[in-house]
Amino acid sequence: MKETLLKFLKIDRRWIFLALALILFTPIIKPIGLPNKTISKDVQNAFNYLDKVPAGSFVLFSLDYDPSTRPELHPQAEAALRYAFKKNLRVGIVTYIAGSTGLIQQIIEKVPAETGKINGTDYVVYPYMANALAAMTQMASDFYGIYDKDIDGRDARSLPVMKGVRNYKDIPLILSITGTSILDYWVAYAGDKFNVPVVGGVTAISQPGYGPYLQTGQLKGLIGGMKGAAEFESLVKEPGKGTSGIDALNLAHIMVLLLILTSNIILLVVRYL
Amino acid sequence: MKIIKNYLPLAMVMVMGVLMLASYYVPHKYSVDYVEQMNKWENIVFAFAFLLGLLSLFVSHYGKIRRRHDGWGYSIFVFVGFFIMVIPALMSGGKQMIDGQVTGLGWSFRYVYNALSATMFAVLAFYIVSTAYRSFRIKSAQAFVLFLAAFILILGKVPLGQMAWDSVMHWTGYGIDSVIEWIMSVPAVAGKRGIMIGIAIGAIVTSLKIIFGIERQYMGKD
Amino acid sequence: MTETTWLIAGAWISAGLTIFLFSFLYKDNPFFKIAEHLYLGAGMGWWFQVYLYNIWKPKVFEPLAGGDYFVLIPALLGLSLVTQFIPKISWISRYGFTFMMGYGAGLEIPARLSTDFMSQIAGTIKPFSLMASMSGFDILNALIVAAGTICVLFYFFFSVEHKGSVKKISNIGIYFLMIYFGAAFGNTVMARFSLLYGRFDDLYTSSAASNFYATQLILVAMAAYFLIHSFLGKKDQVEEAH
Repeated sequence: MKETLLKFLKIDRRWIFLALALILFTPIIKPIGLPNKTISKDVQNAFNYLDKVPAGSFVLFSLDYDPSTRPELHPQAEAALRYAFKKNLRVGIVTYIAGSTGLIQQIIEKVPAETGKINGTDYVVYPYMANALAAMTQMASDFYGIYDKDIDGRDARSLPVMKGVRNYKDIPLILSITGTSILDYWVAYAGDKFNVPVVGGVTAISQPGYGPYLQTGQLKGLIGGMKGAAEFESLVKEPGKGTSGIDALNLAHIMVLLLILTSNIILLVVRYL
Repeated sequence: MKIIKNYLPLAMVMVMGVLMLASYYVPHKYSVDYVEQMNKWENIVFAFAFLLGLLSLFVSHYGKIRRRHDGWGYSIFVFVGFFIMVIPALMSGGKQMIDGQVTGLGWSFRYVYNALSATMFAVLAFYIVSTAYRSFRIKSAQAFVLFLAAFILILGKVPLGQMAWDSVMHWTGYGIDSVIEWIMSVPAVAGKRGIMIGIAIGAIVTSLKIIFGIERQYMGKD
Repeated sequence: MTETTWLIAGAWISAGLTIFLFSFLYKDNPFFKIAEHLYLGAGMGWWFQVYLYNIWKPKVFEPLAGGDYFVLIPALLGLSLVTQFIPKISWISRYGFTFMMGYGAGLEIPARLSTDFMSQIAGTIKPFSLMASMSGFDILNALIVAAGTICVLFYFFFSVEHKGSVKKISNIGIYFLMIYFGAAFGNTVMARFSLLYGRFDDLYTSSAASNFYATQLILVAMAAYFLIHSFLGKKDQVEEAH
């Protein structure tokens, strides 16, 4: 008995690798659809702010993440964009990270087509700007001072989507989805300084750091990590990669805990045998 | 000669260090401009430091290829990888998208660099799990506390875990969400703050040592 | 080549590289080594072009071409770093290094003082100034944070011997540290799993029919390689034994 238990303890780790791989891969092929029970307060707030924006208004999405943080942030961006289109909002997309351009392209190829939204009339993508701070300060007085052409080279002022938008006063909401500290800049230079409501989407690792901003109301809502993405998706009723990701993670997390518990229980049993 | 080789560089550290330190606290326009100028210079010098690393990599792998050292074939792939990223960059002027079309650089970034770097980090997940099984030994009260904190966090981040907690602990009236929030905003903060303050003190002392020339390792051999 | 061909080629290449890197989990093999060296080169290549187009071109070449010779100073300091390779004149590199070290050390002190030192202490004390408007539970929490921080600092205070009451306090500090590490571990696990899930998701997309079943075919090829390799290995062993 003791020998078999000890053998189990020293199992070839490749079996553990295989188990983890299977556990994470299977829900992708066949989603389990485990229910997502609680909606955290911050995600609810983020959703409420997006929900409250009157139809036809212009919102600014700042998508600043690269492929390394994609699994957590891309679903957030997709869900938010889908909902904005559902509510007939006009969307402007800006970015300050070079690696985001490819990912923004992917969203643009996929989401607008589902709802028949047209580039230039319902949404617009602006080119990458290296200096976020300069852009944010400029947008307070004149949006077109820094974004005079969209990413396709068209004159921004002439686009129907930008009608009536001159600076922050005409933008009722800024949504910043990022794996970097750009959200801090938005809160400081748009939210604090010019009282533009800012809602954020961040990775699970950065999430705890924004507690202070949420407490003081400088940040109006926060979507954190893949779990936040799943909650947001259930609120906007558009299940996507966030939900299926949480499904997969469900089992993986339980597996880690079971493994640690098992190994320690085996040790205890062996010691008393 | 000793002056140019030893004393001048040390003097430069002190002057640069003290000036940077002082300018942070002086709100005068000259000081702000100085800091901005130094930031720009630092970016440029740092870019050359990268060049140092790059050249050292190339020299070492080229040497391997030339001497037909063991595994020299793989060294060729280092250069292949380098050119896969650099040549499209040169062709498209460093842009990943032009006029809404993905450029060669964009393609390389997405399908080569991204696949490689994300996978490298993802492989760590496997090692975390296998190490958790084989080495996470709860042998003391302190290790148990660590395990407990990790347990609550890992469990509470997934819906299944939340449901499991509720089925066992619903009598407390606190969902696992609020427990996690408490842990993250009270005891974890205390631990993190202590570490940050300790590190800050250490960093300040080391920086002062460097500025005053007590710490000279980075200068290399005399 | 049309755009779809590029997309399919991309799917094959990224699926292939991903699987090559993962194959290390089973056993070290040449495919993994190839992918590993490619990663090294591609990483350096990516950063090279980032620095080229964001720093060298706009901040060095263009100003120089336009007659602004001021940038020669940092450029020369930077170039001096490269002399590290030539032993006879490697002392020139000291100028570049001392510039960076002086800048870094000088910047570090105020940055650390204000963000990591002052604001952390301020953050710990601030709740006590708002005591009137806080619930009993909040006051308790603020006390725990303050007490915990002090206990942790006691643990790190190595110039005093840990005996008696100092030892008791630093032991409490260790518990706070354990909670922090446990929470950090939990977060890390979640982040890494998310990343891994992302890779698997990409592999799954590459396994679609439109991509000619990239993932499956590459997996089968790798499995075949391992089988043949171990079979040949056993044959060699048997031959050696004879």
